[in-house]
Amino acid sequence: MPSHRFDQAKPFAALGIVVLAWILLPVAVKSFLRSALYEVQAPIAVSASYARDLQDYWAERAQSKNDLLTAGRELRRIYSGYEFEAQQTEALRAEVARLEQLLRLPSNPQYRLEPARIARRDFSGWWQQLVIRKGANYGIPVGAPVVFGGGVVGRVREVHAYTAVVDLITSPTVRLAANLEGDARPVSYQGGINLPFFLSAARGVVEFVPPDVFASAKSPKRLVTSDLGGVFPAGLTIGWVTRLEASADGLFKGGEVALDPRLSELSEVTVLVPLNPT
Amino acid sequence: MHRRWLIPFAAMLLLWSLVGQINHYLAPHGISLFAGGLLVTFAALRLSLRPGLFATALAGLAVDALEPVTFGTHLILFAGLHVVLYHLRSRFPREETILAVVTALLANLALFLAVSFVTLGGHPAANSAWIRLFCDLGCSQVFVTAAAPWFFALQGHALAFAGVDLGEESRHPF
Repeated sequence: MPSHRFDQAKPFAALGIVVLAWILLPVAVKSFLRSALYEVQAPIAVSASYARDLQDYWAERAQSKNDLLTAGRELRRIYSGYEFEAQQTEALRAEVARLEQLLRLPSNPQYRLEPARIARRDFSGWWQQLVIRKGANYGIPVGAPVVFGGGVVGRVREVHAYTAVVDLITSPTVRLAANLEGDARPVSYQGGINLPFFLSAARGVVEFVPPDVFASAKSPKRLVTSDLGGVFPAGLTIGWVTRLEASADGLFKGGEVALDPRLSELSEVTVLVPLNPT
Repeated sequence: MHRRWLIPFAAMLLLWSLVGQINHYLAPHGISLFAGGLLVTFAALRLSLRPGLFATALAGLAVDALEPVTFGTHLILFAGLHVVLYHLRSRFPREETILAVVTALLANLALFLAVSFVTLGGHPAANSAWIRLFCDLGCSQVFVTAAAPWFFALQGHALAFAGVDLGEESRHPF
């Protein structure tokens, strides 16, 4: 009978040994194991991503010449518009540099733009993250801001040999310093409202909004990044504040932020790599 | 000896990669699948304790490496579930596919709820999070029901191909 009881307890004893061994394992060994296991699995996501790009290439090759010529013409039109705006931006940049020198102001942070294809999206109810196809091999640092044409995408959380993991602004783990457009007072943004299916696009939460600010779905206010956070350049679009109501303490307001629905369909993003990291 | 844990571990990695790719395509539609219970079930029901638990523990660490949780969270959850299933497996005909599928469903439910309780601390909108999580859970259970027979057959045939006798495994519990 005691032998039978011991046989019954063996699995739990084994579990106890596993847990104890894990607790006592040095942190360096755990870090190495995590890194090694990630790198073993990374080629799977990256290869699948390259296979998807190849599939898209062959699908586009099947397009008729007329469709391609029309698309090329439209792109030329858009490109010439961007070319003019780029010239204006350069002129403005030179003017800002001249004024900074004249008034002895500190320079705004400068960034190198690093476009990266998305290898894998992981959008669960617990977290929202992307794996991009550039990592330490392109000098991507941890904490670098990630953007796209519509504004902020998120922040680089981990950097590996040739991939990096980005926390999306829809993730409840992401909190940003922000302000409403035209209002320098700081507010706080946090992601996390991700409803299923087509019930609603992803939304975030805004807090510590001054009580004299009003916003609604009919007259939303644009929420932009603040330079107080030290991560994102100021003025990038986070989303639109569509609802504000008084918080429990009555000192501030809180509400919801509607985010760009394109965030869930991105195939390419841009990482802003600081040129002069602090 | 190594085949007894290496082959189930490789199969678990394959399933997790496939689920990851499916989730990539489902992301724009606001759905995500979780198949942690399916990973653990075959090893817990059919293998002896040491290679089964080793394969499950390694799979837990592999999942932890990809996800933004404390490294070791899935190791402990998967290993705990494995041990519970192992302890209970003598009470029902575990070779029956239907019962194994039911076990996988219950295991997946338990793991999903455990991961939810571990990760939802500090969520700014916990109520809306649970709506999303229940939808994900429903879709995940449908996926597990569909994929479980294939996954069990894959592991069984792979082990048989490698010369591992599952009947012999049952007779040597440890």
